[in-house]
Amino acid sequence: MYAWIWRHLPGPFPVRLMVALVLITGVVALLMLVVFPWLEPMLPFNDVSV
Amino acid sequence: MAAAKRSSAGPGAGYVVMRTLGELFVTVGVFILLFVVYTLYVTDWNAAKLQDEATVELEESWDAKPEPGSAPAVGMAFTKLYIPRFGDDFEFTVMEGAGKEQLDVGPGHYPDTALPGEPGNFGVAGHRIGKGAPFNRLDEMKSCDAIVIETGHDFFVYRVLPMSEEIVGWEVTSRSDKRCEKVPTLRTAEDGGGPYGKTVGRRIVTPDRRDAVSPVPYRPEAGLPRAEQAALITLTTCHPEYGNSERMIIHAVLTNQVSKASVANYGDLLEKMGGS
Repeated sequence: MYAWIWRHLPGPFPVRLMVALVLITGVVALLMLVVFPWLEPMLPFNDVSV
Repeated sequence: MAAAKRSSAGPGAGYVVMRTLGELFVTVGVFILLFVVYTLYVTDWNAAKLQDEATVELEESWDAKPEPGSAPAVGMAFTKLYIPRFGDDFEFTVMEGAGKEQLDVGPGHYPDTALPGEPGNFGVAGHRIGKGAPFNRLDEMKSCDAIVIETGHDFFVYRVLPMSEEIVGWEVTSRSDKRCEKVPTLRTAEDGGGPYGKTVGRRIVTPDRRDAVSPVPYRPEAGLPRAEQAALITLTTCHPEYGNSERMIIHAVLTNQVSKASVANYGDLLEKMGGS
């Protein structure tokens, strides 16, 4: 999977590395800003009131 | 022959399946670790930013109208909360309302409960994990620990009630600690201790015990006239620490009301209280 992605990145090694880092940053940002804020309220320890 | 075939056709299907499966596992692991980081740290940063905004809002409202005489609308900043046991810098702005949006900012006041300093029960909920975790260490609170509420006009000093195992002999043991001077057991000679017979410093209750924040805790039917009610504060948070099967409840009783005209600030008040 990751090898497949790496093979399909364009350009020489330094360019590929940069593109890969940008992709990773994008995925982490998507998780932190969209996915986790949606998921987090479902955790049990948010129930603090009676 | 086999080696030559492999180099031209790439790895076998079984190898690719196993490798992909391994990569998926690693991905799920990283996903979970990132989620833990989000829950324990990123929500803290978000809450800290919201807290700062709420504190500014609160101080502005105090400057405009120091004593509103009633709780603000749900979602507005209401009072400040200090617990000296957790450090001199333990300070949170309490929101009006105990819903998700308010608790994302900081501790939240149950809207239908008493106001600070009034007879009855000033109920406050707060997170134990993430989002600033104001009530993370409620399990460490001891009897006679101070809980200070600051309003526009006053500081209200509440002190944690004796724990259930301390009730017997409290008259004697409380004398050895100056902080316990004004902390009663609230019990009467009646069977079961009277209206406050179930109110102790800390209780673990099931989540349906809404009566933990009723004017007379656990005895909403007691029908005690308001003038005879003790002025309590009740803190609620989740229990066990990472679960929701129960709630941890801390009850404290009002022991002092200090006008802000007579102390410069919270630090000054702490000094006059003797540090705790």
